Amino acid sequence: MQFVFEIFAAAALLLGAFLMIVSGIGLIRFPDVFCRMHAAGKAGTLGIVMILLGTIVFFLTPGFADFSVFFRGMLAIFFQFLTSPAATHLLARAAYVTQYPVYDRTAVDELKAFLPSQPDEAGGME
Amino acid sequence: MTPSPFFQFVCYLCLAAMFATAAMCLFRVVIGPQAADRAIALDLLSMVFIGIICLLCIIWGNSWYFDAVWILTLVGFIGSAAIARYLERGRVF
Repeated sequence: MQFVFEIFAAAALLLGAFLMIVSGIGLIRFPDVFCRMHAAGKAGTLGIVMILLGTIVFFLTPGFADFSVFFRGMLAIFFQFLTSPAATHLLARAAYVTQYPVYDRTAVDELKAFLPSQPDEAGGME
Repeated sequence: MTPSPFFQFVCYLCLAAMFATAAMCLFRVVIGPQAADRAIALDLLSMVFIGIICLLCIIWGNSWYFDAVWILTLVGFIGSAAIARYLERGRVF
């Protein structure tokens, strides 16, 4: 019985670790900050959620049956899904407003028509 | 109750991958051309720390440190939001 839980937990942990390392490689190799956000925001979030799911499944094996880890892990997954896109969006907006040089092979820059370059005219979080 | 040797091997493998990712993040923090790159790398580094705490909970076989996981998600978000606000407006509050 323990074997079944450990197979599922090991699969989730390995998938999560693979996604995290892919995210790190993307963080190094991508050309500008918006592409790097793409790697860190999506692959990193899914990787950490997979690792949390693996931990939850491991602590649900009959030897432990630790439901407090289940609830705390679900809380962590909820907060991760809630906060990671918001943080990435805030950082992308800050990088664009401070005139970070966009990679020169970027095809579409739709934000150029809408977002003025001065921070106080940009509106937003007040 | 302890995890089986196969599962312990998987945990140590994932821990090695986590430390490799942390090394890549620190490399980007060092060479990042501007502050936004460093902020993104630190955001990913907080996620890597969450994963390391999860894996250490499994390896040690108890859940005493598992509270740090969901607290660290909130603290990481507050850190990223503060850095973004500082970059955008020149002040935090």
